[in-house]
Amino acid sequence: MLELYHSEPNTFFLKPLIALHEKQAEFQSRWFDTDKLEHFALVSSTEVEAQLHLEREGPLLRHGDTVISNSFFMLEYIADALPGEPLLPEAPYDAYRARASGQFLGANLGSLVPILGCVKYTAPRLQSLDRAQLDAKLAAVEPQERKMSWQALVDGTYTPQILDTARERLKFPVSRVEAQLAAGSWLAGPRYSIADIDAFAMLRVMPDLVPDLVNASATPRTCDYLARIEARPAVRAALAMSRSGKPHQHFVPGVEPSRWG
Amino acid sequence: MTVHLYHWEPNANSGKPMLALAEKGVEFESHYIDLLKFDQHQPEYLKINPDGTIPAMVHGDRVLTESTPMMEYADDAFDGPQLKPADPKERWRMRWWMRFFDSYFAPSLSMIGWSVFVGPAVRQRPKEELEAAIARIPLESRRIAWRKAMFNQFSEAELTESRRRVLYCTGILERHLARHEWIAGRTYSLGDMNGFNLGYALPLSQPDHCNDAKTPHIMEWLRRIYERPAAKKIWALGRTAMAQRVKFLERATHA
Repeated sequence: MLELYHSEPNTFFLKPLIALHEKQAEFQSRWFDTDKLEHFALVSSTEVEAQLHLEREGPLLRHGDTVISNSFFMLEYIADALPGEPLLPEAPYDAYRARASGQFLGANLGSLVPILGCVKYTAPRLQSLDRAQLDAKLAAVEPQERKMSWQALVDGTYTPQILDTARERLKFPVSRVEAQLAAGSWLAGPRYSIADIDAFAMLRVMPDLVPDLVNASATPRTCDYLARIEARPAVRAALAMSRSGKPHQHFVPGVEPSRWG
Repeated sequence: MTVHLYHWEPNANSGKPMLALAEKGVEFESHYIDLLKFDQHQPEYLKINPDGTIPAMVHGDRVLTESTPMMEYADDAFDGPQLKPADPKERWRMRWWMRFFDSYFAPSLSMIGWSVFVGPAVRQRPKEELEAAIARIPLESRRIAWRKAMFNQFSEAELTESRRRVLYCTGILERHLARHEWIAGRTYSLGDMNGFNLGYALPLSQPDHCNDAKTPHIMEWLRRIYERPAAKKIWALGRTAMAQRVKFLERATHA
């Protein structure tokens, strides 16, 4: 049996929801509220891969006795292990491009988009929670950099300068995606693939978070690309699993920014 | 169709596709790019990879510049032994660990390496020459890294945190290898080749924390990989003392 532990269908959590719907796979949805930090007490597994989230927070897929983590590799796993719509590029070079895209966007969007989303939407909601309870939950979080990112949100220590730097650094991946879409309709070969699901889940919120950067005149191909993916029945079904009706307003701190500065 | 590989030493990112190709049995044309002479930022190389990072692989009209996906390409595109497990769950575990090595373990280990090896190796050159070298680097993230290394701008807090993470990761890897024969589980795979490039010199760089008494599973895993003909062949291509550190893994022979 498949069980997906997830929160609102946005960013990291949206990816496997789309892929499972594309595959028309039966799965149990195990929903949790990241605003209440419910995910930290989730899924009893002794496997290091489930304990140590490299994305800090993200979906977990239980398949039999294995707990799959990391949203991009979860996409590869779903594409690989489940029957149905093929989602992996067939040609080796296209598969390379899909993996390289996942790695590039994971590092460049995955560390920046969530910061902007958290500061805009998550941090104000955290203010309404009981601070002592929040601190008690955070005290047990490992590894310590996961705890520190939440602590920074709660304490409001993301300065305007940090946010400006994040917006500035988004220009590079955004321009690269726009250039790639000039060469073809999809990111990795002639067909829609996991590379597109991965990119869509992060890019979808950017017209809201960085409207000066992603809009119909500055990035027309990206906007058209997002609309084409959003129209897919599987994507609509994934987004319809939202409980708030506003999935684009739900974020968790993402991949750790480069420690090199 | 000849495979051209542009690489530095068999170490870290450069060594990953070198070892994967050797394990696959694919001969490649080697183009040595001297990182310490900034060959990777010269116009000839930027024609191949405009980002100015190494390694790069050219196979026909295809250009590949991300080292870990490049390893998967080496396995997918050529005949030879399978370098990925047949079981999808093991394939997923292999990929999880490669990301753990690439994005969590390696940045901390390399920060220490750049502060004690790369920085001092280039720092004696005139400041203007170094500034000009930085100005030629295409990616902002690499400019930041090189500036820190050249001018020794790593803070004590950064290095302390890197040392903490190296110990933390070493402990996680030791526990993993106590439960699994190889990184992916039962099968030697790209995950082991990736990890070997990261960790082959851990017993020398972290002698108090990575040794036969404290991390016997890591030590045995490294030795088993270095016993393989492919690893021997690739590390013999090393030109610096850095790659020579691998010889520490040779088992003592008894008469």
